[in-house]
Amino acid sequence: MHSTKPSIGIIANPLSGRDVRRLVTKASVFQNAEKSNMVLRMLGVLGKLGVDEVFMLPDVSGIASRVIHALRHGRAAEASSLPRVSFLEMPIRDSAADSLKATELMKAMGVSVIIVMGGDGTHRVVASASGDTPLLTLSTGTNNVFPEIREATITGLAAGLIASGKVRVKDVTSRNKVVRCEVNGNRRDMALVDLAVSTECWIGARALWEASCLKELFISFAEPDAIGLSSIAALIHPVYRSDAYGLRLVVAPPGEGFMTVQAPIAPGVMAPVSVAEICEIRPKEVFRVETSRGTIALDGEREIEFSENDVVKVWLEMDGPVTVDVNKVMQQAAKNKVLVQQHEG
Amino acid sequence: MAELKKEDLLKAYRTMKEIRDFEERVHKEFATGKIPGFVHLYAGEEAVATGVCMHLTDEDRITSTHRGHGHCIAKGVDIIGMMAEIYGKKTGSCCGKGGSMHIADLEKGMLGANGIVGAGGPLGCGAALAAKFKGKGGVAVVFFGDGASNQGTILESMNLANIWNLPVIFLAENNGYAESTGVKYNVPTPNIADRAAGFNMPGVTVDGNDFFAVYEAANEAIKRAREGGGPTLLECKTNRFYGHFEGDAMTYKAPGEVKRQREECDCLKIFAAKATASGLVTAAELEAIDKEVAALIDEAVEKALAAPTPTEADLLTDVYVSY
Repeated sequence: MHSTKPSIGIIANPLSGRDVRRLVTKASVFQNAEKSNMVLRMLGVLGKLGVDEVFMLPDVSGIASRVIHALRHGRAAEASSLPRVSFLEMPIRDSAADSLKATELMKAMGVSVIIVMGGDGTHRVVASASGDTPLLTLSTGTNNVFPEIREATITGLAAGLIASGKVRVKDVTSRNKVVRCEVNGNRRDMALVDLAVSTECWIGARALWEASCLKELFISFAEPDAIGLSSIAALIHPVYRSDAYGLRLVVAPPGEGFMTVQAPIAPGVMAPVSVAEICEIRPKEVFRVETSRGTIALDGEREIEFSENDVVKVWLEMDGPVTVDVNKVMQQAAKNKVLVQQHEG
Repeated sequence: MAELKKEDLLKAYRTMKEIRDFEERVHKEFATGKIPGFVHLYAGEEAVATGVCMHLTDEDRITSTHRGHGHCIAKGVDIIGMMAEIYGKKTGSCCGKGGSMHIADLEKGMLGANGIVGAGGPLGCGAALAAKFKGKGGVAVVFFGDGASNQGTILESMNLANIWNLPVIFLAENNGYAESTGVKYNVPTPNIADRAAGFNMPGVTVDGNDFFAVYEAANEAIKRAREGGGPTLLECKTNRFYGHFEGDAMTYKAPGEVKRQREECDCLKIFAAKATASGLVTAAELEAIDKEVAALIDEAVEKALAAPTPTEADLLTDVYVSY
C-alpha cells in the first residue's frame, strides 16, 4: 500500500540510552519525555510544509502516548495545520525487532523519508531494512557517530521540504558505506561506522569501553571529530563518508606498535592505543578475522561471540543506507528561496 | 571489564543450578502440604542474584524481597539450613521461626528476605551508611522488584542514598509482573532504570537472563560504590517461571508465555550454551555439577523432614538481638 499524499515515518527508539555506558563512561541519560518533545517539534513544522501523514512506532513506553496526549489536549491541538499521526499496526516486542518491522512497513507504505531517533544501534537496525528510502538521522545520546546531533525542528523542516518536493531528493542524499561480516558463511550482520574485534569472550553488557581488549578495527568512515572507536583511526588517517574506501587497523599490545594514538574511545574516556598496522580497504576486499576467540562489536556494541571453530569474514560495501544531508537541504531551500515569499512594492 | 576464569564459570553455574533445583523442589514439596506458610519462587531469575553476588564478600550486605531464596543461596546461606527453615524446623537458618519470607544470615551479609514490599530500601541504606562509616569499602545491594519500584520506601531510599552518597546498589529485578499487574500498566517509563535520572545517579538496564550482562554491569556498579562513587540503579529484565506465590493460577499471563520463556529465555540454558561454546568449560563438567546439586537438594529435604520442630520453650528466645 503506497500513500498518494506526502507522508513520512518517524522511528523513535524508546529503549535507547540505558546501557552500561551510563555507568562506565558518564554517557548521558536521554529521557523519553524529550524524545516526545522532539517529535512534537517536528510535527509542528511538517504540517506547514504540506506533509499529510506521519507514521510512528506504536510504542507502549511513553513516547507515542505523550504525542497523542499533546495532539489532543495541548497547544499543538490548537494548530490546524498538523499532519495526521498514525501508529503502525504491529506487535511490540520491546526489542530491536520493533524498529526493524516499523522500517519494513514504512518502506512498503512508500513514505518519502524516515526520521530515525536513537543511537548508532537503532540506526544500524533501521539501515538494515531501509533500502532506497532516505533516512534523516537524529542522535539521542552522547556517544553516537552515525546520527547527527541537531535540533529536531530543523530535521523536521528538512523532512518536510523533501516530502513536499520543494527540495529534490537526489540533490541532497547520498548512499553510505557499511562494513559487513559473515560467520561461517551464513550469519550476516553489518556496522555503519566501525566493526571491532575484541578479545572479550562474552556479549555481556554489550558496550566496549576498554581499549585493552581491542584487536582489529574495520572502519567505513573515520572523521577526526568523532567519538568512539573510529576516532582511533580518524586521528591517524581520516576517511570521510564520501570516500570510496575504508580502513583496517590492527591494535598492538601497549608500546609494541609503530605508533600510539590517544583517542576518545568513549564519552569521557581518552585511551592510548598502540597501532601495529593501518591500511585502506577497498569494497568487497574480504578479510578473515585473525583473532581466534572473542566478540565482534558493531558500532561499539558487542553483538557476536565467536571461538576458534568459527570463520569470521569482514568486508566493506558501498550499498549502505541512503541518508539525507540536512545542511544541503537547507542550503537548497535558501538558494531557491522556497521558504521566502516576495512582496510587491 | 571483569575477566571470568574457568573456576568462576563453574561457580556461577553451580550457584544458578542450586537456586533452580532448590526452587523446583520446593515447588513439588509445597504441593504435598508439608511446608507451612507461603513460598514465592525465584526460578527463572537465577542469573540476577548470581551475577551480582559473585562480586560480594561476607562483609557486604544485601537486602531481599519476599522472593528471597535465590538471593540467600547466591549470598552463601547454607542450603540445608534454608530448606529446614522453609519447613519450619528447629535446624533452620532462623531456628524455624521465620520461614521462607524471613530467611536471614547476618554472618553471610544476608539481612533477610522480607514480606513487606519495598522494605529492603531503607535497610540497605542503613547497611550502606554503616559501611561508609567503617571505611573499608563495603557495599550494600538492595534487591527489589518492579512492584516495589513504585513504593515510597524505595524512592525515598534512592533519594537518601544520593544525598548521602552511600555505597549502595539498587538492583531492580524486573520480572514483568507486580504480583499479577503488568509492569507496563504500573510503571510509566519503559525502563525502571529511567528513574535514576531524577536522583542524579546512573541508571542502567541489562538483560537479566544473561548472566554475563548482569555480571559485567554489577561489577562496574559495585566497583563504583566501593570507590566512593555513590549509588547506582541497575535494572535486570528477567522472568519468573512460577506464579507470584505457589498456588497462583497465573491467569494474567498469556497462554504459552511461561513455556516460551522456559524455551527461549532460560538463563541456565543460555549460560550453559555460551560457557561450553567458549571452550572454557565442558558439558561433562556441568553435568557433574548437576549431579552434586541434585544430591545436595535431596539431602536438604531429607534432613528438613527429619528435623524437629521448635518447642514451646523456643517461643520467647531470639526475640531481641544484642549489639
